[in-house]
Amino acid sequence: MSPENSIPLEIHDLTVAYHKKPVLYGVDMEVPAGKLVGIIGPNGAGKSTLIKSIMGLVPPSSGWVKIFGETYRKNAKRVGYVPQRESVDWDFPVNVMDVVLMGRFGHIGLFKRPGRKDREIAMACLEKVHMAPYAKRQISNLSGGQQQRVFLARALAQESDLYFLDEPFAGVDAATESAIIEILTELRDRGKTLLVVHHDLTTAKSYFDMLLLLNMRKVNFGPTEKVYTYDKLQKTYGGRLTILSEIAETRTKQSSDIPLEK
Amino acid sequence: MALVGDAISHSLLPGIAIVFLISNSRSTGLMVTGALGAGLVTVWLIEFIHKKTRVKPDAALGVTFTTLFSIGVILISVFADKVDLDLECVLYGEIGFIYFEDGKSIFGLEVPRPVIRMAGTLLFVTLLLVLFYKEMLVTSFDSGLATSLGIPTGWVYYGLMMVLSLVIVFSFESVGAIMVIAMLIMPSVTAALLSDRLPHILVMTVSFSSFYALSGLHLASWLNCSPAGAMVVSGFALFCMVWALSPRRGLILLGIKKYRHKKAEQFAREL
Amino acid sequence: MKTLHGNWKYFCWIGFVFVPGGDVFAAKIAELSNTQIGEQLVRFFSLRDPSVRYAIIASLLLGTCCGLLGSFIVVRKLALMGDTLSHAVLPGVALGFLWTMTKNPMAIFIGATIAGLVGTVVVHWIHTTTHIKEDSAMGLVLSGFYAIGICIFTMIQHLPTGNKAGLDKFMFGQAAALSTIDLIMIAVITTISTLLILLFYKEFLVTSFDYGFANSIGMPARFFHYLLMLLLAFSVVVALQAVGIVLVSAMLITPATTAYLLTDRMHRMLIYSSLFGMLAGVSGAFFSYLGNSLPTGPFMVVAASGLFTIALLFGNRHGIIPRWFRHADRTRRIQIENTLKAVYQIRERTQFKEDGVSLQQLGGQRNLPLVETAKEVKKLLKERYATIPKDKGGHFQQNLKLYLTPSGWENACRIVRNHRLWELYLTESAHYQPDHVHDDAEEIEHVLGEETVRQLERNLNFPIFDPHGKPIPSIIDLGESV
Repeated sequence: MSPENSIPLEIHDLTVAYHKKPVLYGVDMEVPAGKLVGIIGPNGAGKSTLIKSIMGLVPPSSGWVKIFGETYRKNAKRVGYVPQRESVDWDFPVNVMDVVLMGRFGHIGLFKRPGRKDREIAMACLEKVHMAPYAKRQISNLSGGQQQRVFLARALAQESDLYFLDEPFAGVDAATESAIIEILTELRDRGKTLLVVHHDLTTAKSYFDMLLLLNMRKVNFGPTEKVYTYDKLQKTYGGRLTILSEIAETRTKQSSDIPLEK
Repeated sequence: MALVGDAISHSLLPGIAIVFLISNSRSTGLMVTGALGAGLVTVWLIEFIHKKTRVKPDAALGVTFTTLFSIGVILISVFADKVDLDLECVLYGEIGFIYFEDGKSIFGLEVPRPVIRMAGTLLFVTLLLVLFYKEMLVTSFDSGLATSLGIPTGWVYYGLMMVLSLVIVFSFESVGAIMVIAMLIMPSVTAALLSDRLPHILVMTVSFSSFYALSGLHLASWLNCSPAGAMVVSGFALFCMVWALSPRRGLILLGIKKYRHKKAEQFAREL
Repeated sequence: MKTLHGNWKYFCWIGFVFVPGGDVFAAKIAELSNTQIGEQLVRFFSLRDPSVRYAIIASLLLGTCCGLLGSFIVVRKLALMGDTLSHAVLPGVALGFLWTMTKNPMAIFIGATIAGLVGTVVVHWIHTTTHIKEDSAMGLVLSGFYAIGICIFTMIQHLPTGNKAGLDKFMFGQAAALSTIDLIMIAVITTISTLLILLFYKEFLVTSFDYGFANSIGMPARFFHYLLMLLLAFSVVVALQAVGIVLVSAMLITPATTAYLLTDRMHRMLIYSSLFGMLAGVSGAFFSYLGNSLPTGPFMVVAASGLFTIALLFGNRHGIIPRWFRHADRTRRIQIENTLKAVYQIRERTQFKEDGVSLQQLGGQRNLPLVETAKEVKKLLKERYATIPKDKGGHFQQNLKLYLTPSGWENACRIVRNHRLWELYLTESAHYQPDHVHDDAEEIEHVLGEETVRQLERNLNFPIFDPHGKPIPSIIDLGESV
């Protein structure tokens, strides 16, 4: 299996239901390599569910997913994942370094401990997100933006080819947001494929190469300049397109940023 | 919240034991005092631990009630000669012995004292529920809204816990410390499987509880086992039945629907 | 000041409850056992009695096992799962008993483990197929299974062949009554648990911290969850006879929660937790040994809770008292800095011509009555931030004046500088109105570090005046003494 020839992510007719209530309906798509893809849709559109069902966290009721031409389990090592920040307990007794090292666990194998090389890689990843001075800090003493950077560093430490990021920009300061997007573009330039769940329509256009418009089913998927049109967005948001309120929200978010956070 | 009842039911033990130790009597008033005191201390300690530290509420609850219960057991076993409290009664409850308690005659009928006490509690709780129904409803559903409406949520919460302690202390001698929790949550959880409306649930809980009592006593005399245990077992059985057969969310219905869905999908694929 | 009083009251309360209680207990226990405590101590720790030896070894092993597994259930917020399990095993114990009609440890072990696992599965099942919350589901299973167990047990008791001795031991535990087979089983379970946790430490860690992530890297997270539950069920079952059904969960939760208060790293938490477990186990075994028929479980739990109370009050990081001290310290420093700032502002009004500041002026500036001002001044004197000159007889002068020492003046300048820089930053960079910045600066001035101040200065291009037109004391001013 040579990675160059196969498609990073192929989804066929994926349907997911919670308690017999469908959340996602027959999603088909093929994501080419080296693209930064935004997944856009209103609340409850199934954006996170899509990611989770691709990774097998939520069992699909029908359809299949292939990662580089194989099942997810077989190629799990080639996939990096950044879950939503709220999905973990930040009082957990680990420090920043411990969390980033978890990114290496997929490579280490059973019974073994992370070695010196793993620590070096983890430290380098922390450097990249400007969190190296915080390596020994307990994770509850971090701000929201710093927590997100730690999660990103953990994903970097996975050294994967395909990344899934679930709302990485939710509740972070503007500086972190631009730092994250910089790292994501750099990864993309190195040929990695990234899928990012995103809720901010205003920035979506400038951040992503491709967009997946999702509202319980695939509304559209393609290059940003083709997909980001009023009609298609209108269709995704079911006529209640709220760009105006989104912009207002972004503005308040930017003005209330804590100025001293680097 | 369901397990706070469990915590209180365990923690009442030291309260009652201390009251016995000090007063050496079994008067109702003192028992109530001990129970209310212990209940308050429990609720306060749980809140204190999880608000002042990063300890999560579930761990705070576990630490608190086991500690207080241990203190109670130690008091009872060390001062066994002074405390007229049977540990077995605390653990399993002996509703069968109530008949042998000295009674009081009402309208010429000899009624055992525990029955009078429980009847009094029932009246009291019903009265409170009627009086404060809407306050309790709002506080339980949305304490933020309750605060904004000017309802003193703290008072309602502590009041509820006090009433809970009161109910539990009188249930002690009939079902024991551990199974009280069953009598508290089983009826309401079973009812919640059948209806979404609080008034309906309240009515159902009353009928369920009476069913537990009657069928439990019959079961106990049939199997020759502990009446308290049998009551809870019949409650659990009723729950399992409702869980399986409920017309809204029953397991069997769920299974059938799943099966049909699968069939339909298969059919769709064949097409 | 209010917190001070609150704390002392709290202290007195604890003293009131525990100290006399301790005396009475000691007397009572000694009376029961008819021997001296000292003698008992020697007998206990010299391990002469085989039953004592068993009890101690069992408590050490159980402490380790429960401490290790408890740490994981506490950080996973499953603390009450231990309680549910311990009650849910009762029907299994009863059926195991009924099966052989003797206290065959193996039969009881198998029955109890199966019942416990069925209990956890039913909780999970109720939780996923209905809208009942997990804690209610636990309460249901806990009481329902327990009741089934009680029914079977009372039936056994009423059988002609039944023997009544079995049940009570399971309720509160009797470490001294453990048999060799019991001990072997405890040892085996502890070894298995410890080994598995050591081998799969990183797997348990990552599945506990971030279940979704663990799954995403191809780790069988569900397998490790059920492995943990299985180990938990095993340890609950073997601990039953020593600690008792009602209190097993405490041996799981309390030492682990204590450790959780003391450290921020998982591996340390595991070590501390098993140490506390052992300590609690041995002290429980000791206290129950003192009396004739005292149950072991409650004493173990009280010992564990004692450790927890100590950690809660005095723990370095999260302890209430150290935290209160830190808070008091900070409040005191802020008060001192505010007084220094007031002196600066008074002197500023006279273009720094007047060196001394009178108490009245200071009180006026800080808006405090004279007595309070005197208290604040005393703090300055104690820190050697200020002096009040005395005449030759060693008495204070008639209208006494306060003079800042060089270090006092430096600090005063620093605070004023922080305040004005922050105000300027808010108006320049964050576009606040000049009349909206004072209150914010009042708080920020005390927490700005040297580093941030330098950065602020750079960002603001080394400003000279604050938004209200007052000069910002520069670094040169800081060096200049009075």
